[in-house]
Amino acid sequence: MSSSLDKLLENPRVWRGREQAGRQAGIATGYAELDRHLPGGGWPSDSLTEVLTTRYGIGELRLLMPALAQLSNEAPRQDFTEPGWIAWVAPPFQPYPPALQQCGIDLSRMLIVRPKETSEILWSAEQALSSGTCAAVLLWPDTLDDQGSRRLQLAAEKGRSWAVAFRPLDARRQPSAAALRLKLQSSAQGMRVDILKSRGGRPAVIPKLL
Amino acid sequence: MKSRACRPPAMPRDVAPTAGAVQQPLPLAEPAAPRAPRVSGSSATRAERLWFCIRLPNLPLEASRTSNAPTAVVEDQHGLHRILLADPEAQAAGVMPGQAANAALALLPVLQLEERSPPRERQALEELASWAERFSSFVSITGNDALLLEIAGSLRLFGGLRELRQNIASGLEGLGFRAMLAIAPTPLAATWLARSRQRACIRHTDNLAPVLRKLPLACLDWPMALREALGGMGVMNVGDCLRLPREGFTRRFGAEHLLQLDRALGCLPDPQTSWRAPERFCADYEMTEEQTDRELLLNICYELLSSHERFLLARQLGTQHICFSFFHLKGAATELRLGCACAERTAKRWFELLGIRFEQLRLRAPVIAVRLRSGLAQPLQAESESLVFQGKPGSPLRRFSITQLAERLIARIGDQSVQAATMVAEHRPHYAWRSQSLLADGSNQTFDEPARYPQRPLWMLPEPAPLPVDSGYPVHQGCRLQLVDGPERLETGWWDEDGISRDYYTALNPDGMRLWVFRNRTRTPDWYLHGYFG
Repeated sequence: MSSSLDKLLENPRVWRGREQAGRQAGIATGYAELDRHLPGGGWPSDSLTEVLTTRYGIGELRLLMPALAQLSNEAPRQDFTEPGWIAWVAPPFQPYPPALQQCGIDLSRMLIVRPKETSEILWSAEQALSSGTCAAVLLWPDTLDDQGSRRLQLAAEKGRSWAVAFRPLDARRQPSAAALRLKLQSSAQGMRVDILKSRGGRPAVIPKLL
Repeated sequence: MKSRACRPPAMPRDVAPTAGAVQQPLPLAEPAAPRAPRVSGSSATRAERLWFCIRLPNLPLEASRTSNAPTAVVEDQHGLHRILLADPEAQAAGVMPGQAANAALALLPVLQLEERSPPRERQALEELASWAERFSSFVSITGNDALLLEIAGSLRLFGGLRELRQNIASGLEGLGFRAMLAIAPTPLAATWLARSRQRACIRHTDNLAPVLRKLPLACLDWPMALREALGGMGVMNVGDCLRLPREGFTRRFGAEHLLQLDRALGCLPDPQTSWRAPERFCADYEMTEEQTDRELLLNICYELLSSHERFLLARQLGTQHICFSFFHLKGAATELRLGCACAERTAKRWFELLGIRFEQLRLRAPVIAVRLRSGLAQPLQAESESLVFQGKPGSPLRRFSITQLAERLIARIGDQSVQAATMVAEHRPHYAWRSQSLLADGSNQTFDEPARYPQRPLWMLPEPAPLPVDSGYPVHQGCRLQLVDGPERLETGWWDEDGISRDYYTALNPDGMRLWVFRNRTRTPDWYLHGYFG
């Protein structure tokens, strides 16, 4: 009886909602309050996260740093013998190595890709994600449509990597295949994080995080 | 033991027999053998060999020259950098061989100092050897600074010895090499005469002995201790050496040196190994009619790559560069160059890289033929496969190595666009790191010093951006900045032209953004934005 039930549940057409998504442990964000709101207790691994900001430099990197430092220093799974690489695709400014090192990132496993044409950004990120070498791929795409986000999501699943796309705030109206969408707003009081979409979770607001 | 040393060496495959190698030297054991074996010209009935030696006394300098500035080559001697060679310009300023590098720099501050590099010298010598192949079918590299050409067969073609010599001398001058030239019927004699810096030209073996006899022992590449021991006995030149009893000489100093003299005089054969330029693969695929079908072209490329692989496999070699040329009926061929991180030969791997670039390749016209040329072949670094059964069948994750990923990215978006970063021990913020190519070498050397300085910003601007000032406070986007942390004074780099003297602050704008700003400590303080804490 139970075996036939298992069989049924293994069928990919059966959607198991929250439970299914919750089963996969996330990457701890380093912020207890954010972890509480995210299914899996952290950033969704093997999938795409979108971070929407009014402008770059308001603290979006600081938000990711604890998780990136963790990925950079320990092998994520049993089938990895060493920690993965962190790829930066088309960053808007120079990621400053001394600061990254202060945050605990291993610089010898960092790759910075600066494609000359915007069409190459998505391609490079997809290559890095699906290579299986990169633990995380951060990208700053000029444009990203529904199809593009689906490609990134599939590549992240294939390479078991964490994709983070940074996008302007007005992208929130576009549909996206991302497992998690966050909106960041910075003010003098601190940073407000809006969880716009969370696969297996609920939208939420954290008024003051950083 | 003695009789073995006396036997002429076996001839290897690649040999050019020496002229007059007909008379056996007297056995060393024979007591009454004070004179060297006599060489008779008449016995050399076969065509005489003639050796042309090109010796490059300034090779270390010429091989490492990078600019027109006065240059000197330095060598590490007991932990101290000393000048090995200096060009005439540097010498005019008083830079002399043997000087300490610092002393030379004090004499001539613009002096370009280059570290001596034997691999670079070898490469220059090999390039010169393939250049010299136009003068002779037999070129060999001897020692680490000389070439030997067998020219007896080339004399008619070039119109005589004088013309040939003129040809080679002017060619070398054109290439920027200062050379000592010598011509002699035996390879060793030519080498020694070239080292003696006299413009020797000896055509016949008969004339060789008198010249060689006067040659000082310093021109021979004998060990210093031996030369000193002989000098102490009053033996200064080759003639003195030959006058000594052979038996006694052999007992004291070994047989090898006397045998060398015999070879130089032409009494013993002296086989030389010919230098061969490294092989390269080049193959064409011609079609009966013009084609535009890209699928078909890819198949042809794969076929060429397979034969390329067989070629390299047979020689246990690999290559880092290949080039495809797609020929059209009219106009120049379309070229496609591919590079790889380490020497590679498998068709599959090259085909993968080709696939990435081929998508973007625009062919102007239908293709009639395809050519594959490979770059310099180099020994392949073989990797052993793991014996352990890897992964379950149907395991979904196919993992690339980082070099494979970098190769794929570089193949499409260019070498400059894919980089790694490494730290540099430096206090100036913009010099505290540098980017490096991912393919340069696998080892990224990270400067592992615990971060002693305050928190640095995660985002850095490529250049500091000037900020407007409102009553002494910096202004960012129309709002006065609040300085929350600092100052951190960085005053360093006075020793070069890029010194800084700055007070760095962490500033907060009304939106809660944290900025890294600094004030120049000059008379009119200017504020600049240097980064975001992100």
